Amino acid sequence: MSLSRRLLVAVSAVLFVFLGLTGLVLDRAFQSNAEQAQRDRLQSQIYALLATADFIEIDQRLQLGDALPEPRLGSPLSGLYAVIYKNNKVRVWKSPSSVGLSIPRYIQAKRAQWFFERLATKNGQQYFSLNFSVVWEDHFKKQFEYVFQVLEDYDVYNQQVSSFRHELWGWLAAVAVILLLAQGFILRWSLKPLRKVASDIEAVKAGTTDRLKENYPEEIQGLTEGINTFIDSERAQRDRYRRTLADLAHSLKTPLAVLKAGLHNQGQNNVMDDQIDRMRDIVDYQLQRASSAGRTTMGVHTELLPVIERIVSSLRKVHADKNIKCTVKVDSELKFPGEQGDLMELVGNLLENAYKWACQEISVNARLENNNRLLQITVEDDGAGIPDNRKQEVLLRGRRADETVAGHGIGLSIVQEIVSQYGGSIQLDDSPLGGASIGLSIPLE
Amino acid sequence: MRILLIEDEDLLREQLVTVITDAGFIVETASDGKQGLFQGEEYPFDLAVVDLGLPELSGIEVIQGWRSKGKDFPVLILTARGQWQEKVEGLEAGADDYMVKPFSQEELLARIRALLRRAAGWTQSQLQCGDIELDITSQAVSLAGKSVEMTAFEYRILEYLMLNSGKVISKTELTEHIYHQDFDRDSNVIEVLVGRLRKKIDPGNEIKPIETLRGRGYRFILPRAV
Repeated sequence: MSLSRRLLVAVSAVLFVFLGLTGLVLDRAFQSNAEQAQRDRLQSQIYALLATADFIEIDQRLQLGDALPEPRLGSPLSGLYAVIYKNNKVRVWKSPSSVGLSIPRYIQAKRAQWFFERLATKNGQQYFSLNFSVVWEDHFKKQFEYVFQVLEDYDVYNQQVSSFRHELWGWLAAVAVILLLAQGFILRWSLKPLRKVASDIEAVKAGTTDRLKENYPEEIQGLTEGINTFIDSERAQRDRYRRTLADLAHSLKTPLAVLKAGLHNQGQNNVMDDQIDRMRDIVDYQLQRASSAGRTTMGVHTELLPVIERIVSSLRKVHADKNIKCTVKVDSELKFPGEQGDLMELVGNLLENAYKWACQEISVNARLENNNRLLQITVEDDGAGIPDNRKQEVLLRGRRADETVAGHGIGLSIVQEIVSQYGGSIQLDDSPLGGASIGLSIPLE
Repeated sequence: MRILLIEDEDLLREQLVTVITDAGFIVETASDGKQGLFQGEEYPFDLAVVDLGLPELSGIEVIQGWRSKGKDFPVLILTARGQWQEKVEGLEAGADDYMVKPFSQEELLARIRALLRRAAGWTQSQLQCGDIELDITSQAVSLAGKSVEMTAFEYRILEYLMLNSGKVISKTELTEHIYHQDFDRDSNVIEVLVGRLRKKIDPGNEIKPIETLRGRGYRFILPRAV
């Protein structure tokens, strides 16, 4: 599961639980608040009724004023009803609003105490009910108890609650949507450095940059610095390895040079001379084979044109006498998928041969082939060319050091070895210029 | 022709000295980069053979040092590593040719001669001026097709004057380029040698190929044929 999906799921879950609980708590609070308000309203109705009530001693009955304190008590089915009971038994009065309704009777009443309760009729109609019991005394200290009960339809309260709920959940949903959007945006924004690391690593692999840049957030700087250290140490290790091998070549070949120079002073000895040359070729070939980098994990790329130009201008200097015209047709965008050292060996050996054999003209060509998946480098000259029956031998020199091919050095077999380490191939052909045409095909992926 | 050889491997250096001396050159040696740099800067040389892997200063640094001081004698580098990176760096530093160890004597001498000739502006190994022809490979001199016998010193003087034909060469310069550093310089010896040389290449005293400029030196005045 991706990092951003994990975060999205976790944060969304937390968000929904939080908003759900908030909604429930607010709903509860609103309900109890609404009930309290309901009770207060009913209480004030009772007070208003009490204010109009008068106990008439002569008749020993309760007299209510003509005008009702609340108009709703007068209009039928208004939802607000009042009933008065005497001595907890007999209903002595009921409000005109309750005409035709069966009003449930209160359940409990104690003197001078309020009772708030919910009542329901048999057919399911629900009411809030508040009752209050009042006692009047006549001159003879005889007590008359009256219970005042006021009821209000549940509907009103229900409406309030449901409209509150409607509004509450509507707002919460809106908040949830806004928070989710914000969260998505924050996630994208804060994971951006990670995506950048990924694309930078791709760039390093593709060889467009050397190492990761430095400007990452501190949380992932440890990671990127680690990657950079890894890239650097891989390169350093390769360099060290290469230097060691070069030193080994140096220490093997200097004694060979001594031997060869010694031959001169003792007169020619062809057998020894040949053997020394064989040893030199083996050292050259095997060490080159070992030190060639081949494709590395952190794809190093080398620009083709500068290397070719350096080698051409070096060789032009060496062969200044021959006045050779060297045409380089290489796109400056082209890159070799490996280290500079390997590219120099490839181009250097091919061009050295070309300069050695050419009469007047050399051409160097590089282009992409096979849908940009293959780098094709071709070096041609107008020299003698390589006879067909020699083409195989030339490539095998150094590997099969049991025979030597006059004329061509170890160069081509070294080139072939490096090319094969890159999974490529070498083609020996005849050039339209008249001499040899040596082609290298190097896959780019 | 004076050649500076810088090589740290004693055995190889001694062998090369023999080879190059046998071929008729004067060789001075150095066994490390610092010493080699100093010698190349202080003394006149016609060419230097420099190993790239030297102690103290690398061969490349030595060549760069010379070139930055305006020393323009040709330089042949010797490399044991044989890597192109190294060859190209050496050539870019100012070397003119390279050889990978081990190499054959013939090849080394051929490269040395070619570089000397190229530096003097000659394109072939046969230097021809008028009737006089000097082959720097076989070290043979002929006058109108007939071979002329010469001593080593006479040959060296003629080779140097012909390579630099048209230029005024002072006696000191001539001495420096045909004798070892520690040779007791007596300009009378040069005068005697030039006198004998004139008799050999111009027996009738008609063409007067070597001009004497009083107080300044000698000049080979026959025009180059090629």
